[in-house]
Amino acid sequence: MTTHSTNAPVTMLDTPPARRRPDWLKGPRAALALPAWAWLTAFFVAPVGMVLWFSFGYKPGIFGTHANDRLSFDRYAEALSPTFFQTFQNTLWVGVTGTLICLAISIPFAYWLAVKAANRHRGILLAMVMIPFWTNFLIRTIGWQIILAPEGWFSGLLQATGALDEPLDVMFTRTAVLIGVVYNYLPLMVLPLFVAFDRVILPLREASKDLGAGRWSTFINITLPLAKPGIIVGILLVYIPLMGDYITATVLGGAKGNMAGQMVANQFQTAQNWALGSAMAVVLILTILISAAIAFLVAWLASWPLRARGRLVLGSPK
Amino acid sequence: MKQRTSLIDLSMRAWAVIVFAFLFAPIIIILIYSFNNGRLLVAWGGFGFDSFASIVTKPAIRDAVWVSLQAGVISALIATVLGTLAGVALARRAGKWVPWFLVLLVLVTVTPEIVDAVALLPWMVFLGQDVGLGLFDNGIVRLVVGHSLFSTAVVAYIVRSRLIGLDESLEEAASDLYAPPLRRFTQITLPLVTPAVLAGALLSFTLSLDNTIVAAFVQVSGSTPWPVYVLSAVRTGLRPEIAAVSTIMLLLTLGALALVAVVLRRAGDSATDIAKTVGGG
Amino acid sequence: MSHEQPVRILASSAASRMIAAQYNRRRFLSFAAAAAGAGLLAACSSPDGSTAPRATGAALEDKLTIYTWGDYDDPDVLAQFTADLGPAVTLDSFNSNEEMISKLVAAKGTSGYDIVVPTGQFIPQMVENGLLAKFNHDLIPNLKNVDPVFLGRDWDPNNDYSVVKAWGTTGFVYDKTKITRELKTWKDFIDAAMNEASGDVSLLDDPAELTGLYFWANGIDWTTTDAAHLDAAEDFLVNTLASHVAAFDSYPGGVAIPQSQHALMQAWNGDARIGILESADPDRWQWVLGNPATELWADNWAIAEGAPHPEAAHAFINHVLDPEVSLAELDYIGYHTGVAGIEDAAREAGLEMLDLVFFTPEQLDMMHTGEVNDAQQRAVEIWDKMKAAAGA
Repeated sequence: MTTHSTNAPVTMLDTPPARRRPDWLKGPRAALALPAWAWLTAFFVAPVGMVLWFSFGYKPGIFGTHANDRLSFDRYAEALSPTFFQTFQNTLWVGVTGTLICLAISIPFAYWLAVKAANRHRGILLAMVMIPFWTNFLIRTIGWQIILAPEGWFSGLLQATGALDEPLDVMFTRTAVLIGVVYNYLPLMVLPLFVAFDRVILPLREASKDLGAGRWSTFINITLPLAKPGIIVGILLVYIPLMGDYITATVLGGAKGNMAGQMVANQFQTAQNWALGSAMAVVLILTILISAAIAFLVAWLASWPLRARGRLVLGSPK
Repeated sequence: MKQRTSLIDLSMRAWAVIVFAFLFAPIIIILIYSFNNGRLLVAWGGFGFDSFASIVTKPAIRDAVWVSLQAGVISALIATVLGTLAGVALARRAGKWVPWFLVLLVLVTVTPEIVDAVALLPWMVFLGQDVGLGLFDNGIVRLVVGHSLFSTAVVAYIVRSRLIGLDESLEEAASDLYAPPLRRFTQITLPLVTPAVLAGALLSFTLSLDNTIVAAFVQVSGSTPWPVYVLSAVRTGLRPEIAAVSTIMLLLTLGALALVAVVLRRAGDSATDIAKTVGGG
Repeated sequence: MSHEQPVRILASSAASRMIAAQYNRRRFLSFAAAAAGAGLLAACSSPDGSTAPRATGAALEDKLTIYTWGDYDDPDVLAQFTADLGPAVTLDSFNSNEEMISKLVAAKGTSGYDIVVPTGQFIPQMVENGLLAKFNHDLIPNLKNVDPVFLGRDWDPNNDYSVVKAWGTTGFVYDKTKITRELKTWKDFIDAAMNEASGDVSLLDDPAELTGLYFWANGIDWTTTDAAHLDAAEDFLVNTLASHVAAFDSYPGGVAIPQSQHALMQAWNGDARIGILESADPDRWQWVLGNPATELWADNWAIAEGAPHPEAAHAFINHVLDPEVSLAELDYIGYHTGVAGIEDAAREAGLEMLDLVFFTPEQLDMMHTGEVNDAQQRAVEIWDKMKAAAGA
């Protein structure tokens, strides 16, 4: 009401009242975004900007965390020196492999959930996908530690059934790291994929069946391309947090689970080298952005022939 | 032909069973091990209720859960209000500011948590100690701020995509009838986005409850949130009482979910709709 | 149409008067709020950090937070303290002095920690950098119970900021079912780590003990600042040893020993004792004191600058210096606490595995205290690089 009395009369004078969507309605609407804008500027742009600034500085002494009176790119050179560069490579490997495994698990699963599962059960099944989120992720990860213990019951079971000759040797390996991250981020892939399949499947399946296309070719040529937005959302929802996570990886992988996030944390938590840590943080963000951009470029190029064919199928008159 | 399809269906169903088993295996293990009477969570030392009893005698555990709940509710509220307003503004396009704002939201979403964490701690200390805003020395305030960033962006996306999918004609009709903007907002726009807002709030609360990395950096000891308590305990070995707390929390949230489901069914919305809204449908 | 216009103008001019009035009122209100806010802020912030609460012997607060090494206090002692005196205790743990100091430096007195437990050689610089608050000795009468040998050490000659919490040393533990030969020295440790125990070794997650491992094994003084020695240590640890390491774990006694996670583990004596005592098969484990040289460390109770509960902190320190409480602590943590007569009391009480707690004069001769010197930053860099290399 206040908005009305303060805004309306002032602006109305210079706007003709004849338009269907008067301009003055736009003003307050843009203003609705102001609180979020202010909040994110104060608590995201400013602090992250500060980190960017630190990354050009150096560590002045044992108890000094950062100094910026001399600016240079030296910390970036240090962050990319062979020893630390390996860690970025490993992180990228775990991130990409983990995301691909999540995708491979989720496509058939989400498709089943959206298309095959009985309608009346679907809500419960979806809720069941979310339930793991309600147990603290560290505790879930410790659950895996119990399962994967070399002298645990699962290892014993595998040996008793003859599946393994010796105790399970997974803990503190890359495999353990992958199990941990795939487990923790899987629901974030399933959900958007489910939505995507759910949205495209019904109208399309009918249309495609009318045209006499087989199930498999319908799925590859039509369903999958149309579900692409959901797949992209899923990949981003898994890939980005996974690249920054380091706790899951160290709990199961020990020294082998050393991720870039851990390295950044080390500089702030132990080495007190904020300048180097900031440079590593910036490199981590750049790694994520550039790798995502490359992935999309590759996917876009690879799907070019598919898209041309897809257009042909969809565009052909009935 | 028929034979082949049913085989595909069958293998898909088998796959679903395997995936659910994978999702629930560690949770069931934790549930069982919360009745472990041994000293260490991971080493079984006989069945019993000692772990549940020791929750009662350890105020630090209850404090940590309570801090997490407080931070979760407040940060979800803030993220929901800010995100909803921003989402409405984005969807009912208002000009040149939109791309800039979207870039900001995307940056917030792609920045790994660890970067927020290392950036926020010195920033809060700067605000609290150097600028003199004593508010930022408060543990809950720090957690709330840290947890609200990503959530605000997520709520804005969800609300925006919900509104974009909806016809604007209702709101236009209202403005044609000279309904005041505030009333138009509360009576027409808000009800339209309610499912998206609820989904966003739920998601924000969940994310906050599980947030460990930012929390570990910005926390003020004494108002330690639950995940940070657990993280600290992991170093020297988790005790069974931590699993007991998880079991209790899991049962409570299942109850809450069931309640939400009943309410939603009354309101005509289903879990599928909620999931769709969360997924950007 | 034509008679609508004047009404609007009237409305708008009336509105503009209202807006102007409101604006002025708002501005006044916001000034008032800002002024009040500033007053409030001035009241609760401390520009030079010197107005932090000091203990005067007033009533105890209801809480106490301790930032300490992992598994470093008997839970029963903490529970008893809460039951007797009131404050509920929250524990948080760190892996190394560096980690604890980083947290305090970054938080500038807002960490929320009351008590911290630094190793002796780190204390002078912590004091210099304003990280520790002075004791009020009147509130710690039990200081008289401490063996004079452990009072007035060179890092804090008057015990103004610290008093001994426990002292101990570093060695290693190995699984006799996996390593069948007898390991006696740090050289044996490294040899086993690179052979039968490769990929099955854990090292302490603490910079000093990583470079120390190399120096002790090679007969070099571990407080060396010689660049050539440090370069050699870095080369060996990062390029040779790192790839054999499964985990960096400061507390293998917590999970790794009871769960038999690794075959060979560098460990502090008390933590090794906890792990072996908790193991289902204690005979499987062999403890070896670092040989031919190893460290002697002494951790100290201290109060963090900006501690929100200073009265409770003093009361707690006084509480644990009681001989009976101290014996309970020793029984749990497996370290000598520095309280007078504790060794006799422990032997009299028949506590287990005391050979890991008390050492012979010959053993003590092998132990040397560390130093925070010019090599400090380098040691941290080596630790950093070694962790990166181990993950590759």
